[in-house]
Amino acid sequence: MALLEVKDLAIAVAINGRLVPVVRGISFEVEAGTTLGIVGESGCGKSLTSLAIMGLLEGSQVRITSGSIVFDGQDLLALPPERRRAVMGADMAMIFQEPMTSLNPVYRVGDQITESILQHRRISRAQARERAIELLRLVRIPDPEGRIDSFPHQLSGGMRQRVMIAMALACDPKLLIADEPTTALDVTVQARILDLMKELQAETGMAIMLISHDLGVIAETCDTVAVMYWGKIIETAPAAELFADMAHPYTRGLLASIPVTDREVDRLEAIPSRVPLIGETVTGCAFHPRCGRARPVCADIDPAAIAVSPSHSARCHFPGEDSA
Amino acid sequence: MSFLHSVRDIFRGRAMGTAGLIWLCVILFAALAAPWIAPFDPLDIDPVNRLTEPGWPHLFGTDHYGRDTFSRCIYGARMTMLIGLGSVAFALVTGGAVGMLSAYFTRLGNFLMRGIDVLMAFPALLLALVLMTLLERSVVNTIIVIGIVYATTTARILFGMTLKLKREVFIDAAVCSGAGHGSILFRHILPNLISPLLVQASFIFAFAQLQAAALDFLGLGLPPEVPSWGNMLSESRIYVTRAPWLLLYPGLLIILSVFSMNMVGDAMRDSMDPRFKDDIAGV
Amino acid sequence: MSAAPLLQVEDLKTHFFLGTARPFGSGRRLLKAVDGVSFSIGAGEVLSLVGESGCGKSTVGRTLTRLETASGGTARLDGREILSLSQAEFRPLRREIQMIFQDPFASLNPRLTIEQTLAEPLRIHGLAQTRTEARALIAETLQLVGLDPKVMERYPHEFSGGQRQRIGIARVMILKPRLVIADEAVSALDVSIQAQVLNLIKDLQRDSGVSMLFISHDLGVVRHISDRVAVMYLGRIVEIGTRADIFDRPSHPYTRLLLSSIPRIVPGRKRVEDLGEPANAASPPSGCAFHPRCKFATDICRTTQPPAHAVDTGHLSACHHIEALQKDLA
Repeated sequence: MALLEVKDLAIAVAINGRLVPVVRGISFEVEAGTTLGIVGESGCGKSLTSLAIMGLLEGSQVRITSGSIVFDGQDLLALPPERRRAVMGADMAMIFQEPMTSLNPVYRVGDQITESILQHRRISRAQARERAIELLRLVRIPDPEGRIDSFPHQLSGGMRQRVMIAMALACDPKLLIADEPTTALDVTVQARILDLMKELQAETGMAIMLISHDLGVIAETCDTVAVMYWGKIIETAPAAELFADMAHPYTRGLLASIPVTDREVDRLEAIPSRVPLIGETVTGCAFHPRCGRARPVCADIDPAAIAVSPSHSARCHFPGEDSA
Repeated sequence: MSFLHSVRDIFRGRAMGTAGLIWLCVILFAALAAPWIAPFDPLDIDPVNRLTEPGWPHLFGTDHYGRDTFSRCIYGARMTMLIGLGSVAFALVTGGAVGMLSAYFTRLGNFLMRGIDVLMAFPALLLALVLMTLLERSVVNTIIVIGIVYATTTARILFGMTLKLKREVFIDAAVCSGAGHGSILFRHILPNLISPLLVQASFIFAFAQLQAAALDFLGLGLPPEVPSWGNMLSESRIYVTRAPWLLLYPGLLIILSVFSMNMVGDAMRDSMDPRFKDDIAGV
Repeated sequence: MSAAPLLQVEDLKTHFFLGTARPFGSGRRLLKAVDGVSFSIGAGEVLSLVGESGCGKSTVGRTLTRLETASGGTARLDGREILSLSQAEFRPLRREIQMIFQDPFASLNPRLTIEQTLAEPLRIHGLAQTRTEARALIAETLQLVGLDPKVMERYPHEFSGGQRQRIGIARVMILKPRLVIADEAVSALDVSIQAQVLNLIKDLQRDSGVSMLFISHDLGVVRHISDRVAVMYLGRIVEIGTRADIFDRPSHPYTRLLLSSIPRIVPGRKRVEDLGEPANAASPPSGCAFHPRCKFATDICRTTQPPAHAVDTGHLSACHHIEALQKDLA
């Protein structure tokens, strides 16, 4: 059984008293020790999905309207809130895009790490501090004994993200959810953080759910990839298979939109038009107004996931075809 | 968006703010229609009926000259509105100009804002007292003095907001288009300050009431014959044991009005641009 | 090159004073955001300025548009020095140097309609005498950037990020400038929209023959749009050359680190080892600012700032160890 199983998860946002669907029934699994990448553009629902798994939607305008989230054999949505928090605090951790806002600027980083250790473990403060130094060393922060007494603003962006990772690892989580962990960082720093996450995974055996808008980041770090468009997973496959042969026209369009450094093209093949707005109604396949291979059926019927291979499926009536 | 639409957006779902707005409308109506709705002339002396208890025909009783308290309260609303609007206008125009120009022209600002800092070092009431002792008691002077007191806080607040706006990218874009100082100040900065200015105005309105009442009470505000709520309090304080209603009605009116204005201000602040929310609280 | 370049920047310096670190402390710290940058842009040419946050690339653009004040150096537009002009003297020249900003949500005044926003530069520079004339020009420019002229009645909040960036581009192109400075012009956009806007910028640049200084952190975007590329690190240009020079024959260790750090969809290029942490402009390392991260670093790198060496015609690299570097590439 997979470590995390999400089934038919649907999330809606309350706008002027009306529930507007944002995530429209998605299912995926994360196997222990592997990395799942969720890729998509802003507004596709990828971040809400991660917040729903972490139980961070409570008290907001956002509701989970259906589906189940089974983590380590327990249905998180069926658990009472306190039990749920206990499970999540111990076995799941999350890091965010902006490491500055996730750290409290008035406390030393060491105190913040120690605090999060003490919340979950019954050990002395001195032991927790030892553990904090150990964690800083684990995330390759040079001179951890010295840096533990720094304030967040004294660290660079990359160092702050390392501190966030150290805090996330404090309780040896089974699953680390990373929501755009390197988007705010420079490319040379991003490379080192991604390397670090891979190394830590090899050392600890944790599973990672990586959310990103960057196909390159996803390709370099993930075992399995799910591509989201307007609240649905429109294609999913093992990374190698996906990048070798994309079946959905949106995934292909996304790839063709990215200017790359290893070759030159005269014009980028941009996907025309834009994503439908939240609350807009689109009949049939949500991508058909922008799709080069759309035919009449695409405007009428929303395609189900079609298996292209045993491990590769796409929500498209004509998967794998070339655009007209 | 029309004016009524924005009013609806501000007050929808904000019960306290709506109640405040309704009360202010009542006061405004009383002020405008005072000659028609007041049952007596507020200045008519009636020595026979002095200090009568509330009842008929004197709803709120009479004072030591036998003047009808209810009518005086209605005419007091006029003074309330006049002093409030006048000092708000004075504070916003002078304080707004000083704050905006100081933030925009940094060198001028270093000089002007130090002056504002000195004025702000005085407690508001003390500053008003000092200025009032130098001037004759009159409606205009009361407005000017209260206006000066709140011009200082307005200047401070607008200084901060203009500094923030000055760093906005659209200001850079306007500079790159070749816009001059006047165009940047009046086309790009000022329109973005209108809604925070309105919020600021509602709070000044409320505080100006208290300030005016306090000055009247100390005998330094409006001329004594003018029917204002503050003057009514001031004149009747020696009769407090014999005729407590003389203090009760104007006192209640002041409290209700100040409270209402604060509630309206809160509602407007809550509905406005989040960027400036933190700046406003400091009146 | 025979013809004189449109823009010639020499030894540009922009320094800022930072407040002191402690309250009541004395002595202001100096931040050398741009510290001796030289380059030129020919007519119709696109030069990209690439580098990571804090390297000073945006400050170069903001200094050339006089949003920041230069501390030293010269910039000649068509032979005329522009940095020493007063703001009033510079104002008429603003028409020739226009800037596209990064954040399409912040760069439009929320209180003005699109027509008001686009009419402003026309009015200032006297390019339209009547409202009808202005509206005709605005309609034409909106069509040029792929928007329906009808949108001019609307306010910025009614548009998506991609559309707003098109409006920002229209505001620039309506003046028919000779030099456009694009500061991270597509960085805030989603990939699929970014490709549309990038295609638009490339088309407009080609059709109008405008010169462009394209400032970006994204090497893919830079390769796509540039004729020549300058790589900045900590306030200086460390390497400059044609697009092929930089991407196929990178001759500075930092350029190589940058290129090898980009996450790739097709696995391939080996990572260049990064030995240190990104430098901080407020306390720059001695000598070559990149030496703490560089595997080629020797004593001379720690003490002496490397001058620009010619690797090839028009291809310069500020590194003491170009020979060693070239052997490493081979």
